[in-house]
Parts: sequence; structure tokens; C-alpha cells
Amino acid sequence: MPPKARKPMPAEATAAAGVQAEAKDTTKAQARKRAPVHKPKEVDQSAPMILDDYEENQQDPDKVPRKRGRRPDDGYEALLRPFYDGKHLTDPINTARDKWNLLPAFLKVKGLIKQHLDSFNYFIEVELKNIVRANKRVTSDADNKFWLEYTDIRVLRPNRLDEGDDLYGVSSVTPQECRLRDMTYAAPIVVDIVYRRGQQKIKRKDINIGRMPIMLRSANCVLHGKSESELAVLDECSIDPGGYFVVRGQEKVILVQEQASKNRVLIESFKGMLQASVTSYTHERKSKTYIVLKKGRLYLKHNIFSEDIPVVVVFKAMGVNSDHDILLLVGGDDDIYQDEFAVNFEEVMKEDIHSQYQALEYIGARVKLMRRPVGMAQKRNYQREAVEALSSVIFTHVPVHGLDFRPKALYIAFMVRRLLMAMHDPSLVDDRDYVGNKRLELAGQMLSLLFEDHFKKFNQDFKMRIDKVMKKPNRTSEFDAFEHLKLHGNHITAGMERAIATGNWSLKRFKMERAGVSHVLSRLSYVSALGMLTRISSQFEKTRKVSGPRALQPSQYGMLCLADTPEGEQCGLVKNLALMTHITTEDEEEPVHDAVLALGAVDICSADGKDLYLEGSYLIFLNGTPIALTHTPRDFLDEFRRFRRMGRVSEFVSAYINHHHRAVHIATDEGRICRPLIIVENGKSKVTARYLNSLRKGTMDFEDFLNRGLVEYVDVNEENDANIAIYEKDITLATTHLEIEPFAILGAVAGLIPYPHHNQSPRNTYQCAMGKQAIGAIAYNQLRRLDTLLYLLVYPQRPMVKSRTIELIQYDKLPAGQNATVAVMSYSGYDIEDALVLNKASCDRGFGRCQVFKKTSVPLRRFLNGSKEIINAGAREADRPGFKNIGGDGIVEAGVEVKKGDYLVLKQTPVNTSATGLSSRPAAGREEYRNTFQGYKLPVPSYIDKVMLTATETDVTMVKILTRQTRRPELGDKFSSRHGQKGVVGLIAEQADMPFDQKGICPDIIMNPHGFPSRMTVGKMIELLAGKAGVLRGEHQYGTCFGGSKVEDMGDELLSRGFSYEGKDSLTCGVSGETIPAYVFFGPIYYQKLKHMVQDKMHARSTGPIALLTRQPTEGRARDGGLRLGEMERDCLIAYGASQLLRERLMLSSDKHECDICATCGLIGYSGWCQTCQSSEGVRKMVMPYAAKLLVQELSSMNVKTALKLVEEFPVEEAEFE
Amino acid sequence: MSGQGYAPPTRDLSTLNYEKPVTYSCGDCASKVQLKRGDPIRCLQCGHRVLYKERTTRMVQFEAR
Repeated sequence: MPPKARKPMPAEATAAAGVQAEAKDTTKAQARKRAPVHKPKEVDQSAPMILDDYEENQQDPDKVPRKRGRRPDDGYEALLRPFYDGKHLTDPINTARDKWNLLPAFLKVKGLIKQHLDSFNYFIEVELKNIVRANKRVTSDADNKFWLEYTDIRVLRPNRLDEGDDLYGVSSVTPQECRLRDMTYAAPIVVDIVYRRGQQKIKRKDINIGRMPIMLRSANCVLHGKSESELAVLDECSIDPGGYFVVRGQEKVILVQEQASKNRVLIESFKGMLQASVTSYTHERKSKTYIVLKKGRLYLKHNIFSEDIPVVVVFKAMGVNSDHDILLLVGGDDDIYQDEFAVNFEEVMKEDIHSQYQALEYIGARVKLMRRPVGMAQKRNYQREAVEALSSVIFTHVPVHGLDFRPKALYIAFMVRRLLMAMHDPSLVDDRDYVGNKRLELAGQMLSLLFEDHFKKFNQDFKMRIDKVMKKPNRTSEFDAFEHLKLHGNHITAGMERAIATGNWSLKRFKMERAGVSHVLSRLSYVSALGMLTRISSQFEKTRKVSGPRALQPSQYGMLCLADTPEGEQCGLVKNLALMTHITTEDEEEPVHDAVLALGAVDICSADGKDLYLEGSYLIFLNGTPIALTHTPRDFLDEFRRFRRMGRVSEFVSAYINHHHRAVHIATDEGRICRPLIIVENGKSKVTARYLNSLRKGTMDFEDFLNRGLVEYVDVNEENDANIAIYEKDITLATTHLEIEPFAILGAVAGLIPYPHHNQSPRNTYQCAMGKQAIGAIAYNQLRRLDTLLYLLVYPQRPMVKSRTIELIQYDKLPAGQNATVAVMSYSGYDIEDALVLNKASCDRGFGRCQVFKKTSVPLRRFLNGSKEIINAGAREADRPGFKNIGGDGIVEAGVEVKKGDYLVLKQTPVNTSATGLSSRPAAGREEYRNTFQGYKLPVPSYIDKVMLTATETDVTMVKILTRQTRRPELGDKFSSRHGQKGVVGLIAEQADMPFDQKGICPDIIMNPHGFPSRMTVGKMIELLAGKAGVLRGEHQYGTCFGGSKVEDMGDELLSRGFSYEGKDSLTCGVSGETIPAYVFFGPIYYQKLKHMVQDKMHARSTGPIALLTRQPTEGRARDGGLRLGEMERDCLIAYGASQLLRERLMLSSDKHECDICATCGLIGYSGWCQTCQSSEGVRKMVMPYAAKLLVQELSSMNVKTALKLVEEFPVEEAEFE
Repeated sequence: MSGQGYAPPTRDLSTLNYEKPVTYSCGDCASKVQLKRGDPIRCLQCGHRVLYKERTTRMVQFEAR
């Protein structure tokens, strides 16, 4: 099996850029004579430098000459440049240090969110065609001569809806246009058909059947393969990773879903009972089958059977007739398992089942009737039903060809055997939370489920329409099915669009109803968008109290980020991918099957029970199904892996051995997480200096490393077989793999943290949540976007202390924060409880200054009677307030300031919008309108940044107005460092009052030292130290996890610059002018401004709006609501005894209502009259909360009578008079 | 709902300086587009359907803080 054909790239000199860079670098290298601190002091001469060697190898005869041009610059280029990190091409390569170069190389090929793109591409290129192939024939019930077949399906390039007919024309549509115009970024789906018309066979090509939303940056997207400058022309950001859809103008992500793996046997303990379960999943059917252990006996359990079937009966029904055969198949010659299983024969004896016929009768009688046959009279054919159930309902993923039940019987036998083993040794019960037992479902899979459902429905509708026509006895013209196919409506288009837009996946076929599959891509910051694309949501229910699914699994190592998970409800259920992971797509089984047999394994069906479990014989499972038998598993495995390294089977096929099951498992299925590792053979890493050299020069890329068998993908299960050294120095003879970089065990978001390995672990988790709320740059096209809400930092800075991950995800190009000089000391009293003191002058100079953009959309609706809303500039009244800024078109002028109450759009709505035909709309120009002006509602004024006019796909005129506010930090704004240390601004102090050091440096932020002891964020201290050394030196420092600049080096640097090595300085108090009698920890720390700002939250009210229904004050800031005096506050007042205060607060100043109560019947009357008693005798006036009156009436509406009993407030004490 | 009971202006519209067409700039080719009432929203040069309103000619005073 040859390796997957790569797309040929335009040939171009690959080395050109490298040479240029080299020339540039010589000067640079000279300028930097002093070795950087993190560079090795001694030059490693042990690594040989053979440059020419590789060039010769390139001319490998069996290798296709490389036709790879330089890929468009995607920013990874810089990382691969020879002089990167102060290194020159001729600098010696140290494999131990420089193997990390593989990481950018990996990301260059795979990208950060490549799993989404791969999955979507696979769906478009392969799965779509499979679906159509499986449903290709449409016939008619009315005319059995008619048929139609789909011969091919393709998804074309994205275009606009109104360009629909010109399928192969070049459309200029861009994702940005779709965002602005609220369109769906989609491409037409076309099919080729062959069908019968009369006596002819007609072929037709390129019939449009609907539109498919296109994932940005996928192979079908216009952005695919574009360079940075080309992207800029399309108004697109080159750093934006893609991997999402634009549906109705919104960016939607289909989150990665985590599920239990399908078609695998899982032994679990359920309510104290052992059971083996398999979720069989094929295109036709999805079902779950169990083998359960009840009272020491084994049964097969499935929904289709009305009761559990003893396994022995199942075996007999499948043609394994003799008890001896069954016993061997299950237990081999192992006495213990034989004894354990022997009980099962008893029941069958009692039932008197001996032959296959009897077994089938027994099973058939217990098959639940799914659909009752029309004529009820006919007797059920138990045998046929049993065969039907056994062959196509249980374990559907094990194919039954003809009536050969052998593979299925074997499959059941292995399940039973594993159950017996687990009975014997409870440690063999499987762990459901083990990552190797899970599969990740990506956008492509979700869409393929959806498309299949819609395509089937489409065919059904089509068939129905044909049938309707065919039934008519005589037609005027010859029937042409094509005419009907063209009139497809937009079932597929609307269905796909709706599902992605709402996130509701409802599939009729599997009776699946899933909400929240897609989410709006969070564009709060670049990191939040990225974090969303690597997010994995779990399908397990959240209500379960067990901690198992939430706990950190050791098998997550390297695959899922250790730190990045939300707090609270979703904790541990939502995970994130680590930096260097890949999620597999499906590979074909066939070539793997052939390879297995070619490697000398024996086909399973030729073996009997004795052979299967012979000492030293191992079974080979392909995707959970036994296929072959080997007696030399170790050799087989080695050979198989060699096959894979040679490229004879796909690199994503995994093979591992399980000694407990005595099995070799080979997996080719989709959704496995895997990661690349360097191969180690005979105690030597296969990646040597010369390969890294070629990588640097650009003559090799990551794919070459794979193809040459230097690096391979290893999934979670195969990891168990591997002996992975983390550093090159740890390699022993037993080592099989070498880690590429240890920091890749963290994800993209956790990678922003400097020195995370020095922090208490929850702090890293907190930072992962907060990094997503930081205000910063979002994308290169941020000022051209019209988002509902957009926060931007005015002067974002790259962090002084960065990490490799920061460079890899290009956070340094779209940063979200600023390097603040921090003094860790007490100042005033406004810094307690994590509050920060800000320097006022710093704020004046732009520290923490941000812009807030808000969008107002005004669509001009159209109504059923044909009337539509208009923008009427004539409605402007110049002398009235609010109209001041309206332009000649009835829309606010761009660039002006708007205040509360100003109008933005003078929209008018027709008075008569009903669709009734009687009062048809008046002639044009005579229409009556009422004003529905769109106003500016916020209390704080804004500037109009942009006014955009457009028409949507349905030709609705749309006005989008973008308002802008510039905000400087104020008291209560939230800031955070990158170590989970958040705080609000407690004081903005004059610079004159701030302390300063001997050079006159004044802090931007003063942080209270009490933040450190309990949080134990040592990483923050080291960041300060490294940052300070870096500032003095004039270069960035690294805080990469498990690496980074060393504290000792930083101390030395500080010393050499005349500072204390501890990072402490002597400060002078700005208020008193005296030297502060302590040394203060002082230096730069990267601070993020978080989106929670006081201005968006502050709220107060006295009297104000009330809710219509209850007449109580409204709720919430947006509605200018009241501040609730809640239950607990009420309790306090009751306890205190301030009952009159309560009465006033809760009734008199709230929803006081005076009503008439009839003392006789207790019901509410009206203006002194009781309707129930038909008298006014007992009616009294009473004050009560309106809500109480409402409750009484709501109850009475449900036939519950609530009578009020009245007593005298000041009763006359009659006893005294007697 | 704003403006309940509000009567549409009966004044002669020509007295206002609002009759001249407003200029927009195309989101794609940046050419100037003049739209009158009822015109479809579309650039006359390139057919692009996103138009931006030109910045106002009025004086805008910013408060520098």
C-alpha cells in the first residue's frame, strides 16, 4: 500500500528563502557575539555535521522527485528560519536541544486545528461519496421499470446564492462578505445521474441538489493555500486558524465530541454485575449488545429480545453444535475457565435444546415484533426471525456472509472469554475513562450523519413525487425524472444550515436528538477563539456524581491538556487537546487485513477452539474483530510496525499488544487521538543532527520525517507498548521512542503561562479560564469586522517572558496584555484582597486602555402583504433632540458622537402588515407608517465607527451600525497576570505618590504581597525575575514549561547590571520622600485586562420601570431593574423585628395594590361589590401586594379557591363590657 | 416603543438640506456610490453589495482623556 498521495505543489526553489535568510543573518550573528543566556555555553562537537550526505539520499530511486514548493507563509516560516533564536545555519546542531524544531514543522503541516480540517476534508472527499454510493438507487413503486442512479457527488467551490446556476464560474465570494452580509458560506453540491426515461437511458451531469456549508480553510474554501498577502486582499487574517463555519453571518464551531469507542468490547461492572457490552455501529444500524453475567450464568442481552438468551443457545443457533466445541471456543483447554463456563450448559439441557433448529426456534420465539405484518393471521416463522436477528441485528459490525456465522460466533466467544477472565480476576474489568477506550467525533463525522439523513429524506421525497406522477395512467408528455429532481426545494440546504446555526442535531435514523453541538465562535480574544477550536466536550451526563469521568487520567498524558478545563459544573468534562496531537480519520481495513495475512498470521476461521488459546498463540483483532492468529506476536508486531514506517499501511494505523487478552489489536478507525514521537532504535534516536539540519534548511519537512521512518504517530493504546524517553540523555537500550518536546503535553491556552511547572496546578487552570477573557488583538482584520461585541486593547504588547508555545500559536502577533512594571508591596489600604494600585500616569500613557465596539443591526423587514419597512429621512425633525446626528439618508452620520436617546436609524414600519386579502395594501406611496426608530440606549456616549449598508441573500436591506467607546482603566476594572492571580483596581494613584527606584523607575501596578503565600505562584516570581533580566538585556526571555530561562542565569544577568540578583530593589516613597525600609520585589510582569469592566456592570436605581404582569420592579441591569431584597435579607429583617420596614420595602414601595375583599366569602370583589355574594355587605377595602392578588387569581383560574379571612385589626374586647 | 402618538412631519421636505443623495463608499473597490431612494444597495463599479457610509463632514470634537 503506497503512502497517501500528496497533492503536487507547484515546483519552486525551496532553498531560496533559506539563502536569503542566511545572508541577513551573518550580520546579526556578529552583532550578537555574546551568547544568549539560554544558549549552551559549550559547543557540542559530538554531533557530526554532514550536510551533503542528505542531498545524495534525496535521489532515492524509488522516491518520486519532490515537487513541493514553498508553502505560503503561514507564520511558521519564521520559526523554521535558520537563524531563528539567534542560531545560524552553520551553528552546530545539538539534537537534544534542537529537536523541538520538529514541533513547528509539525504545526506547519498539521496546523493547530488541523483535526477539524482533516475531518471536514475527509467528509467532503470520501464520506460524502460513500453515503451516496450506499443510497444510490431510486426506484418507483408505481413503475417497476423506472430507475435512477447517482454516479457521483461533488462539492464545488463556494459561491453566492444568486450565482447558483453558474456552477463552475469563479465566484468572488469571501468568508468576510458572508460575515458582513449575514450569509452562509456554502458551496453547491452537485450529483451526476443516470436514469431511465421511456426507453432511453439518460446521463446527466452536475445537477445541483443543495448547498453545503464550507469550513473555513478546508480544501474547498477560497482561503485554502493562500499566502498572507493574498489573505489580506480577502480581508482575512492570516493567523486565524479557520476550522469553523460561517452560517447566517455567524461563526459557528462544531465542537469535538468525546464518546465511548464503537465496535469495541468493554467489560464493565454494572450495579455489581459483570457485563461485556459492544455498541455496534454501521451505516445501517446502531445497536448495543451485552453479554451479562447473572447468577453465575451468561446471557446475551439485546433490545430486540424480549428476554435474555443463554449464550449456549446462541452458539447452538449459530451452528456451533457440540457442547465440546463451545467449551473449547470459550475456554480453550484452561480448566478454570471450563469449570466456570460449564454451568451454562445446564439451563440449555433443561430447555431441551440440542440442535441448531431448536436453538433458532427458541431465539425466534423471543424476538420482539418490530412491525406487525399486515395479515395477522399468518404464523410467525421463528426460525427465519432468529436468523434475521442474529445476522443483522446483534453485533452488526461483524459481517455475516451468506449464512456463515463462524466469525460472529467467534466474536461472542471472545466476549464470553473476557467476561470469564474478569470474573476470575476483577482487575481485568475495563476502565471506561481510559482515553484509549474513547473516540473523538469531529465536524466531518457530525456532518456526515446529518447529510446522510437529509440525503435519504431527499430521495424519499423525490421517490414520492415520482410515484405520484407515475400513478397517473396517461401523461401528456414523456416522464422525465430530471424535472422532478431539479425541483428539489432546498431540503438539504436548509437542513444543514439549520443544524449548524442552531446546534440541534436531530437524526431520524438513529432517533438521535442532540442540542448544543455547534457554538458561536468566541471572539473575545485570539486565545479564546483558538481555545474553542481545541475544545472537547464530553457526552457523558453531568449529573452523575461519580468523579471518574472528570478525573485526570494518566492516559491523557501528551494527548489532552492537563491544565485547561473549566471550573465548576463542567470541570473535567470539557477538555482541550494538547499542542501536538492529531485525531485520526478512518483508514481502509482492506490493505491492513492483507498486510496482516502477508505477515504470516493465520486466518481465524481456520482455527478451532484448541488452537485459539494454545500457549503462546495470540489473536489479531482488527478494529475489535478477530481476524487472525499468530504464534509469534512480538515479531508480528515489530514487522507490522516496520510496514507502517515503510508506508505500506497508513501511518495512523495503530497496533498494540495486550498480554491479558493474549491479543494484538490493530486499529484503523476514526477519532483516535495520537501524537508523533521520535523513533529510537538500538538505543539511538533516529533523528540526528543532519536531519535537523535539513529541516532547518527547508529541504525536509515533517512529512519527510514520517516517510523516512524517523518519527511516527502513536495513539493512546500503542503508547502502552512504547518505552518513551523524555530527554535524549535518558535513552537506554529498552527505549523505543523519544519525546519531541515535553512542553507539548500542555495545550495552546496553557502554553501561554510562563513557568507553569513552578505553579500550583489549580493556578494554571485558573489562568486557562482567564486567558480567554483577556482583551487584546483578535485578528488582523479586527477593525473590518462587525461583531456584536468586540473588545480591543489599544496598545497590546508581546510578553517579555514568552514561551515556545506563544511563538507556535503566534500569540506574540496577536497579544492580549501589557508588560507592567510591578512593585510587590503594600500601598495605602486599597490593595487588600487582591486589589491592585494603578499608576495614574501609566493610565494616561495608555496602560490598560481598551476600545469597545458594539453593533446594532437594523434589517428592513418585509411583510406577508408585500409591504416593507422603510428608512425615512423625511421623518427627521431637526429642532427636536435626538435627531441631531441623522444624515440625509435617515441614518446616523459616521464619526459623530451619540448620546442616550439619540436616534440611529429613522426606520418606519407599515401600519397594516397583516396578510389578509380583504384590506389589500394601499397603492404605493399611500402607505401609512408608524415610527419604529432605532435609538442609542446606553447611558455612556459612543462614537459611530462605521455605518454599513448591505442586502442579505434574501435581498433584505440591512443597516449595521458599529459604535465605539474608548475606555481607560477605572476603579473596579479587572486585571490579571498569567498565573491565575486576578484582581480589581482598588486605587489609581498619582505618579507623584508612587514609589520609585534609584533609577527613577516607577511601577505601573502595585500588587499586595499577600497574594503570594497562599497561591504559591512561584512562576510569577520567576517571570518577574526573567522579565527584569530581559528588559535590562534588551531581549525576550523564555518561560517555556519544563525549560525556559534559568533563575540562576537571570540572577547573574541582574547582578551584572548592578541590580540585586533576587530582583529586589530599594525604593523611595513618593509620598514622604523617605527610603522604604525594606527591599521591594520589583520588575515587569505581563498583565491582562479582563473583559469585566465596571462600566458594564455598575447599576443603581430609585424608582423606575415595573414589570407589566406583577407590577413589581423589573429585574436586571439591562432593564434598569431594582435591587432585590431577597429571602435571606428578608430573614434578617424578620429576625431583627423590623416588620414595618419590611412592610414598607416589600409592599408599600413596591407593588402596593388596593382591592375590595368580601369578608363573607373571602373572594375579591370589585368597587365595593361582591359578585359571588351578590351584595356589598361584607366588602372591605384592603391593601395587599399586587403579586399576592395575582396569585389568588392565577389559582382561581386553575379552579383552586383561595379565600381570605378577615378579622378586625382592633377588635372590640367584648368580655370587658359584660 | 418610541414616538407613540407621534404625527409624521407635514413640513415641506425641500426646506431641509436633505434632498441631495448621500455618498457611500464600496467595501470592495472603495469607489464612491451615490444612492437615491429605492436604489438597490450595490456598487455601480464592481457590483459589490457592501457599502459603507462616508465619514461625516461635520466637525467632531473629541475629549482627550
